[in-house]
Amino acid sequence: MGTWVQKNRTTVVLAVVVVVAAYVFYYAKNDIAPSMFGAAWDYAIPLVLAALVGVIGERSGVVNIGIEGQMLLAAFAGFFSAAATGSMVVGILAGIGTGLLAGGFLAWTTVRWRMDQIIAGVVLNIIATGITSFYLKSGEILPGVIPNLRVPLLADIPLLGEVFFSGRSWIASVAIVAAIGVHLMLFHTRWGLRTRAVGEYPSAADTAGINVERLRMINVTVAGSLAGLAGVYLSMDASSSFERDMTAGRGFLALAIMIMGAWRPLRAMAMAVFFGFVNAVASQLQQTGGFSVPPQLTGTLPYVAVLVVLAVAAGRVRPPGAVGQPYVKKDQ
Amino acid sequence: MKSTRYLVAVPAALALALAGCGGSTGTSGSGSTASGSGASGAAGAPTDDSNCADAAVFCVGLVTDTGKVDDKSFNQSAHEGAMAAAKEEGGFYKYIETQDAKDYAANISQFTNKKYDVIVTVGFLMADATTQAAAENPDTKFIGVDQNYDASKVTAKNVTGLIFPEDQAGYGAGYLAGLMTKTNKLGQVLGLEIPPVQKYAKGFEAGAKAANPKVTVATVYHPAADNAFNDPVWGAGEAKKMLAQDADIIFGAGGNTGNGALQEIAKASGAGTDVFCIGVDTDQWDTVPAARPCLITSAEKLISQGVTDTVKTAKSGEFEGLQTLGQAGLAPYHDFESKIPADVKAKVADVVKQMEAGTLKTGVTL
Repeated sequence: MGTWVQKNRTTVVLAVVVVVAAYVFYYAKNDIAPSMFGAAWDYAIPLVLAALVGVIGERSGVVNIGIEGQMLLAAFAGFFSAAATGSMVVGILAGIGTGLLAGGFLAWTTVRWRMDQIIAGVVLNIIATGITSFYLKSGEILPGVIPNLRVPLLADIPLLGEVFFSGRSWIASVAIVAAIGVHLMLFHTRWGLRTRAVGEYPSAADTAGINVERLRMINVTVAGSLAGLAGVYLSMDASSSFERDMTAGRGFLALAIMIMGAWRPLRAMAMAVFFGFVNAVASQLQQTGGFSVPPQLTGTLPYVAVLVVLAVAAGRVRPPGAVGQPYVKKDQ
Repeated sequence: MKSTRYLVAVPAALALALAGCGGSTGTSGSGSTASGSGASGAAGAPTDDSNCADAAVFCVGLVTDTGKVDDKSFNQSAHEGAMAAAKEEGGFYKYIETQDAKDYAANISQFTNKKYDVIVTVGFLMADATTQAAAENPDTKFIGVDQNYDASKVTAKNVTGLIFPEDQAGYGAGYLAGLMTKTNKLGQVLGLEIPPVQKYAKGFEAGAKAANPKVTVATVYHPAADNAFNDPVWGAGEAKKMLAQDADIIFGAGGNTGNGALQEIAKASGAGTDVFCIGVDTDQWDTVPAARPCLITSAEKLISQGVTDTVKTAKSGEFEGLQTLGQAGLAPYHDFESKIPADVKAKVADVVKQMEAGTLKTGVTL
């Protein structure tokens, strides 16, 4: 334990400072602070899920810029399946299934056919925009709402319980579990070691007897289900409608967050919450007024924050070695 | 292996075709309009735009803002208005949905190249592209919805800005909200900060304060320009935050962004009894059924009617350059008719009447 703290001193200190600051703010401004933290987490939920898709893909050596399209397709399929069948469960399953399918499409094109990964992602995004706008039908309503989940005991913690463990649907809890789960799996299991090997140095992994192609195929496909869940969250939980291009760039934002999080699941989650919080601050500044800041200026706040974080992080984070390169066996 | 590649190529090409490049188009003749309402009307009406240069053939073209013709808000209203006008006049109607603000001029020129008689451009942001096209095409009539031209700069007689007194609609809605609120906190979730939206917002605030001086109004505009009217998730998040800060009536004004806010409030506990929402632009009771549990009224501007009337003036020759004033007001209360106290309704009706008569000014300046 001692060595772990020593190795991660900056992270630990930073985390303690952030948590203390959050609690001070929480007790000092109890009229607005809880709702701001809540808004931050609401904003972060789809970003966490989408960033995990990116992390899993890139850790295995596949760039996924098609997350936006995966989310959009899933949001579409989820919403309209639910509206057509009258069952939220069917909608959610359809959304996740669509995410998987889209992930499979990306895996097949980039890994099996060794298509350029950027182009494959763009194709996915264009297909998603085209199909969802073409088949869009207005006037549909969801048959119900996704129920809120209150985690016993944890929900009673001030601030943390309020924000993370109550008042939100189970998708929010899944996002937390997924971030922790992917972290544990990536760094503490055989699958994780193999995945990282495949993403860093596939020929070495191949020599060690790992089936590079198969592992990449599985990872990219299965990660699609998280993008599916993010899409379901957008159209069936955060809002109750499907609109064209409603993902509004969140898939790309998630990639930036993945980089800010140094391709690590928990850091990416922290960055997503940070980004959400800066957003909440931006809108709160507009809302309370007091001093008149034009919304165009406050609106740039999150992006300025991203620039600052990226500038500080520049040079210290490094993408997986083999990211973006299709793997070709030498003797083929 | 090789043949299977077509499996990718075909859907990719298909999607490209569907997504389009400069903008997706639809014609009333082909029945591909998003609203589903089909042919352009009377028998003998033209079915394509090949003869638009002919004086006897009346052609109406519409270019949307980056919103869509099915946005359940201002683009859709203008689209329906223009389509109705073309139908009544036995003319041809076609629309182009703008995908990117850079394409405004290119999309307008698709119509001017074919010598359309009337071109409707929807949205404040298209004002510059519209006035420029009007100067270059003196024989075509241009109607700029929500575009307020400066008389010293725009001299062309073939262009008119169709504007609405949004501040009056906002004032009426705000007056109602001010009388109804129990927490004395109101909220506004808005699209992009442009004059029509600002007029709604400032009118709402002025009305609320006139009805109830103790009231505070929390106002947020969507910060990003390119999807400011099409981000329901953001709108819902802001509405949720305002509700958590005790706002009990929220005005959602900004296309799908505002609709997201309305739907979020409709899902909140106490919707329709303790917390309410107010829609915008059209009677959103009809356009956003999911918002009905909380929707007490909508600050409405009669865009469809305004566009229809103005297009017809172009045909009849009564076209008035520079500026045409449309109407704005409050939509019916629908199911809340019986839940809103009679004295509140009477006061609001009185205020609306005074504004129409011109005796009450909203005091909104931009």
